[in-house]
Amino acid sequence: MSCFARKELSKILHSIFTDYLPQIFAAGFKYTITLAIISFILGLIIALVTALVRISDKGGGFLIIKAIFRFYVWLFRSTPLLVQLFIVYFGLPYLKIPGLLPNGIKLAPFTAGIITFSLNTGAYASETIRAAIQSVPREQWEAAASIGMNRGKTLRRIILPQALKVSIPPLSNSFIGLVKDTSLAASITIVEMFEVSQQIAAENYQPLIMYSLVALVYALFCSVLSWLQGWLEKASSRHSKESEAEA
Amino acid sequence: MKITKVNKTFGNHQVLKNISLDFPAGKTTVLVGPSGSGKSTILRSLDLLERPESGNFDLDELHIDFSQKIKDADILTVRKKTGMVFQSYNLFPHFTVLQNVTEGPVQVLGKKKADAEAEAKQLLAKVGLADKADFYPETLSGGQAQRVAIARSLAMHPEYILLDEPTSALDPELEMEVLKVLLELAKEKQSLVIVTHNLAFARRVADKIVFVENGEILYDGDAGKFFAQDNDNQRIQDFLNSMSLASLD
Ligand SMILES: Nc1ncnc2c1ncn2[C@@H]1O[C@H](COP(=O)(O)OP(=O)(O)O)[C@@H](O)[C@H]1O
Repeated sequence: MSCFARKELSKILHSIFTDYLPQIFAAGFKYTITLAIISFILGLIIALVTALVRISDKGGGFLIIKAIFRFYVWLFRSTPLLVQLFIVYFGLPYLKIPGLLPNGIKLAPFTAGIITFSLNTGAYASETIRAAIQSVPREQWEAAASIGMNRGKTLRRIILPQALKVSIPPLSNSFIGLVKDTSLAASITIVEMFEVSQQIAAENYQPLIMYSLVALVYALFCSVLSWLQGWLEKASSRHSKESEAEA
Repeated sequence: MKITKVNKTFGNHQVLKNISLDFPAGKTTVLVGPSGSGKSTILRSLDLLERPESGNFDLDELHIDFSQKIKDADILTVRKKTGMVFQSYNLFPHFTVLQNVTEGPVQVLGKKKADAEAEAKQLLAKVGLADKADFYPETLSGGQAQRVAIARSLAMHPEYILLDEPTSALDPELEMEVLKVLLELAKEKQSLVIVTHNLAFARRVADKIVFVENGEILYDGDAGKFFAQDNDNQRIQDFLNSMSLASLD
């Protein structure tokens, strides 16, 4: 290797560790992780409410509310996330209703990102939670009913704990998916880590290195999450192992 | 407790045909009859897990007309006064044995946790499972699980315990440990309503026998007479002859 090339390589390596990676990580913690965590928590709350509404057996006026939630889930599951981001960030400012909304809805990029990612996650996760609730045998409802528990208490104490345990693997997958999907936030001017790597690549003409670096950081984040998922799954099935050990 | 003129259909299949029955307090009533005759449906109606289309239900001063919408408060009264034991145990898998027994008293009756636990331990001792309090249901044998289910039901101090084929899923040795508990309860004058295919056990435990066939009551009365060989109902004779009476003798 020529002296020049060696110098060049050590310069790049030096930049990677002192400049590029620190910038990517900073953006990762400031935007990627915060976007993902906040959106996931909000998404889970939306998902739980949606799932409970959709499995409810109430009739009458409640059927309209059920229809609205069904429409919401359909809408977010059948359109691309990128298009949803564009509608919320670039589109809503043009939603002008004279008298009510004369100036449209202008959202800060981060807010638009949180709203879209939360609603998107909520739509998918609601189906996961709904399926998990329905996977709990009907007999569990009956056993709870026979000791006098009402529907709400049965849900809270008997059904949801069992359903959430079943939901851990699919919900973890959703979360990992969400972390990767936050890269789409670059398109609505959020300077998350993919955007940062793009900006650096535009300056140093090293797209291969920059995009590989950011890919590595995504992989690192997701690996940590996979490990957490494994830990959660173990913790939630701990009881069986413990009592076997006692026996 | 009694039901009068109860009708229940699933789809267009009439499962209960204008049935009237009473269940004397302090006694053991056993429902027998061929599979699919409607025994479980009768039992589940007593706990309001099935809702017949018409008929009446009376328990102490509570009166329910099945053709009307049942008030939540009445449902709760019935559920407190009756306890159900299922063929498939239906314990709560995410709770320990002790928590399974205390759940109702704490959450529904509003008992203090410590009091509920003390009583639960007594009940578990009574069904022979004092040492299993901290185990999870999936580590229990079927016979143990069913005895926990009986303790869970007893913890609510129900007037009636309803048992839906409580030993049908069990091997004969495990069946015995459950039947012994039930015989003990019957001796203590706990009101029981039992659906079973075990006629030997029925003969031993029943004060009253109800023979159900095709959604109708063919016999409703004294257990001794039912098993007497001179029973003049040919259907009942055929049924008795078709079942083995040997298993508990
Ligand atoms: N949930 C249900 N839906 C439809 N049919 C049912 C249901 N439960 C019971 N049946 C029918 O009702 C009849 C009586 O059932 P059941 O009361 O379980 O009888 P038994 O306890 O005497 O075996 C059977 O023909 C059964 O198939």
